[in-house]
Amino acid sequence: MTYVNGALAQFRVIHALALRETKTRFGQHRAGYVWALLEPIFWIGTFYALFALAGREGPAGMDLVPFLATGIVTYQIFSVTTDKVSQAINGNKALLFYPQVQPLDLVFARTILEAATFVIVFALIVGANALAAQTLEVGSVLRVLWGMTLASLLGMTLGLVFCALNVVSQTADRVRGPMMRPLFWVSGLFFTANSLPSQVREVLLWNPVFHCTEIVRDGWFPPYHAIHASSAYVLVWVVGLAFAGLTLERVVRRRVQVT
Amino acid sequence: MIELDGVTKAYPTTTGPHVVLDRLSFVFKDKVSVGILGHNGAGKSTLLRILGGAEQPDEGRVHRSGRVSWPIGFSGGFNGSLTGEENCRFVSRIYSADIDAVVEYARAFADIGNYFEMPVRTYSSGMRARLAFGLSMAIDFDTYLVDEVTAVGDATFQEKCRREFAARKERSSVIIVSHSLGTIRSYCDLFCVIRAGRLYVFEEIKEAERAYQAA
Repeated sequence: MTYVNGALAQFRVIHALALRETKTRFGQHRAGYVWALLEPIFWIGTFYALFALAGREGPAGMDLVPFLATGIVTYQIFSVTTDKVSQAINGNKALLFYPQVQPLDLVFARTILEAATFVIVFALIVGANALAAQTLEVGSVLRVLWGMTLASLLGMTLGLVFCALNVVSQTADRVRGPMMRPLFWVSGLFFTANSLPSQVREVLLWNPVFHCTEIVRDGWFPPYHAIHASSAYVLVWVVGLAFAGLTLERVVRRRVQVT
Repeated sequence: MIELDGVTKAYPTTTGPHVVLDRLSFVFKDKVSVGILGHNGAGKSTLLRILGGAEQPDEGRVHRSGRVSWPIGFSGGFNGSLTGEENCRFVSRIYSADIDAVVEYARAFADIGNYFEMPVRTYSSGMRARLAFGLSMAIDFDTYLVDEVTAVGDATFQEKCRREFAARKERSSVIIVSHSLGTIRSYCDLFCVIRAGRLYVFEEIKEAERAYQAA
């Protein structure tokens, strides 16, 4: 019974935090949700224009807008979740005054909010495109969501590592930005694994985010088969990062000073 | 009831760890209101955070039974960009209280008019304290933790709080930390002085006063 009560209490706290985060993240402006759409649309627009100028199209069997959307939104789920989760403790210290609110609840609440936001953003973008193009063909919605879930889990666990490091060090967060930037270019946002020369592909496939975008595209485009992507490989990263992050959180837990 | 068993808490400083609470053992009984006196930096707020569970002791244990409030008077639990009402809704959710009832009670008790629907960052410190008190009164706690240093408010409001606590004396107790005798005198049954990490207990306020001023 105590476990059930504990789980219910935690669920209640995460639910309350997610609602509160929704208000603070989007509630500041009229039409606040529009801002969440703006960044992915900006990137998709920019690269759509670049592709058009260079006379390039999406890879065989892929319409350009969904090709860019599957890559950019999946990458953003990963990177924005990492960003928000890494600030979960530092940005919410006052909340830890309520003893039932624990750092991990903040981590879960922010992860869920980001994942839900970007799934909606993705649906709106590809939905609008389908209306404009008067055609919509989706391979497997479940596989698309699975790829996005993996990206979200990767973002959460990496964010947790930084979140714990941020409690004890100012340097960790400075490293994060420059460290993340190259991932934007090597996570398959603008290319697919199947179209790469094998030597390049072998190197880039070390990057777990690349596997996530591949899985999402495998799900979205019926003709595309992500033969090089592996969910198991991503999950190994998730488990490893979760282990490191949870251990660090244990170590620094007592050093969080509620101010 | 809150029981402290050998509680030690130290904070790291540039000159080595600073021990704020040193092997404290004490039982805060149900329905016995306790006033804790201490000079600035004596560890009053740290003690309150440990009693409430916001911080964990380095050593020792804390046993709690019944519902214990967060340290009231401190308004840091509020999010400045959310309105008073939104903050109340959040707190009622995490305590699984009836949201509408809590919001109505807090609105009436805080009595800050339209500010209740405005972001908390626009509040004066007195208004924050009113909201914090109103909200904590709306949720039924067995033990209220009050940090009087920051619990400001004008005389009428102070009197309102006093009446409210008096009306609940049969079911709830208060633990107040303060650096002056004023409020403690009218609220409490037992008096403590915190000094150099230890807690000294007195039945009579006169003795507590003497010990406090000698420090």
